[in-house]
Amino acid sequence: MVNSRINILQGIFLFVFILFTVFMVIMLGGLLFYVEWSDFLSVIKNPEFRFAVVFTLWTSLLATLMAAVTAVPCSFILSRYNFPGKVLIDTLMDIPIVLPPLVSGLALLILLGPILGNALVQLGLEVVFSARGVVVAQWFIATPFAIKTFKQAFDGIDPRLENVARTLGYSPAEVFLRVTMPLAKGGILSGLTMTWSRALGEFGATAMLAGITRMKTETLSVAIFLNMTIGDMQFAIATAVIMLMVALILMSVIKVFTATGVRL
Amino acid sequence: MSHDLLNVYNLTVNAGNFSLKNINFSMQPGDYAIILGPTGCGKTVFLESIAGLRELKKGALYLNGKEITHLPPERRYLGFAYQDSLLYPFMSVKENILFGARARRMAGDPVILHRMEQLAEAMHISHLLDRFPRFLSGGERQRVSLARAILTRPPLLLLDEPLSALDQRTRHAMQDLLREIHAAEGLGIIHVTHDFSEALQLGRSMLILYDGQVEQAGDPLDIFYHPATEFVARFLHGENLIPGKIRGRDGKQWFKLSGSDFLLGPLPECTMESLSGSGKTSTLFIRAGSIRLSKAGEAPDDANSWTALIKNYVIDSTHVDVYCNGNGSWQASLSLAEWQELAFKRGERVRLTVSPEHFHIIPQ
Repeated sequence: MVNSRINILQGIFLFVFILFTVFMVIMLGGLLFYVEWSDFLSVIKNPEFRFAVVFTLWTSLLATLMAAVTAVPCSFILSRYNFPGKVLIDTLMDIPIVLPPLVSGLALLILLGPILGNALVQLGLEVVFSARGVVVAQWFIATPFAIKTFKQAFDGIDPRLENVARTLGYSPAEVFLRVTMPLAKGGILSGLTMTWSRALGEFGATAMLAGITRMKTETLSVAIFLNMTIGDMQFAIATAVIMLMVALILMSVIKVFTATGVRL
Repeated sequence: MSHDLLNVYNLTVNAGNFSLKNINFSMQPGDYAIILGPTGCGKTVFLESIAGLRELKKGALYLNGKEITHLPPERRYLGFAYQDSLLYPFMSVKENILFGARARRMAGDPVILHRMEQLAEAMHISHLLDRFPRFLSGGERQRVSLARAILTRPPLLLLDEPLSALDQRTRHAMQDLLREIHAAEGLGIIHVTHDFSEALQLGRSMLILYDGQVEQAGDPLDIFYHPATEFVARFLHGENLIPGKIRGRDGKQWFKLSGSDFLLGPLPECTMESLSGSGKTSTLFIRAGSIRLSKAGEAPDDANSWTALIKNYVIDSTHVDVYCNGNGSWQASLSLAEWQELAFKRGERVRLTVSPEHFHIIPQ
């Protein structure tokens, strides 16, 4: 009786699993099927597409670097120390994950426009409606992912490994560099990949803070949106296919970093 | 104070909801001290406080007469090894052992490299130097951990339950190794454990902790036969803890068992020093090995020799525990050879004899 119940449950699970897998394959396959491969090459040669690829790469890489610089200390403090209000601060740092990117973009726009805008302009660091705005938006949206994954990596390290290094003659800073970071390497690399993938696909906050300006603040996501709105479906689909391939590669890399015995 | 290797004065440490309270402790150079206590009594916190890994709320620490209370761990130069060896998985065995020397920019020093090779040979890990920790057994990892801790010749080695994660055979081999290291290096060792047999086999002095406080300190064998409290007696597997009262008779002190008129004694003078006199409720403590078992014979009961019935017995690999009833419940212990020779049976009438010097009174 118990076995038959388990079998029914396994059957239901397997059915949902197969259904969703088939749905994903058909959806992504549809995208590939819909693309005109002759147009695909012409899109790749298109200067606007090339601008969007290069622009997306450097902005997202810079945003990922900034996210790492922000996330390493934040996640280490959240992982190693207990202090009043820790849960509140931890939740606060998660907000960009749950907040619609448009709202995050609006909040950034108000902070870096009406509130700090004039001061930033005087310092020559204008952010709103500029490439800097794209980097800031990507950084803001991607950093919480970095904090979360880095924190998990630090949580997984036995603090006694750090204690032993202290007794062997290393200062706290040396312990961090020579013990903590090498031990957290796998988690940090997977976190960086996830952070970069989030920055690559950012659209909502970027649109609010940096605007949607062709060949100026045009990331790949923005390029898809702009070309869809003027009816250039082939450009949009070719770009989407390239982003899909990048996403598949990135996710595979994440899985290799985070799991052992991965089967491709 | 200057003759001691380590002095701990009124050490008080808060660790979450737990605290160590006013611990005083000292050890001589070359001593092998055992910190014993049940799980959660503060043994590891004590060790980590000595290493500088815990912030003290109160107290002072002196190493070779120099105050180290406020020195960070990296400037105390003490060796430390935890129970689960804690090797760095991204380093080879050799790199792990040399890790402490690297901190002092000595990893390339020929003297240190020679020392590393000597230690590796002494610890039978020479053939493992290029391997990574995940390919080592538990005993091998623990030997590497020890080599890493003592490479730079620390004056004091702190060991946190170094043998508890090992199987019995490896544990015995590691005990031999610890004895050899202690003799060869001449360093002081503080060894935390909850295993009393390990403590007896290795320790020259002992501190027993319970709930963050010192319960008893001194020579391990003395503590074994003369526990200061009922907790210590029970923790050290004390077999016969008999409630009763002290009574005066013929100008001497005797022990009257609760619920009977049976008297044991006279009690040794030294036992009575801490007691304020007759009528006091106390506990009589006698080790099972101090009770002699013989054929009952016809002789009548006297003060320290009485008859009892064998209720049960348990045969161990080295001895036999015999449980008897007669003027209360008693546990005696015989060697396997004695047990075979006397050939006692369950329900047999036997004679129990205890010499008065084996009586120990624990005040309540």
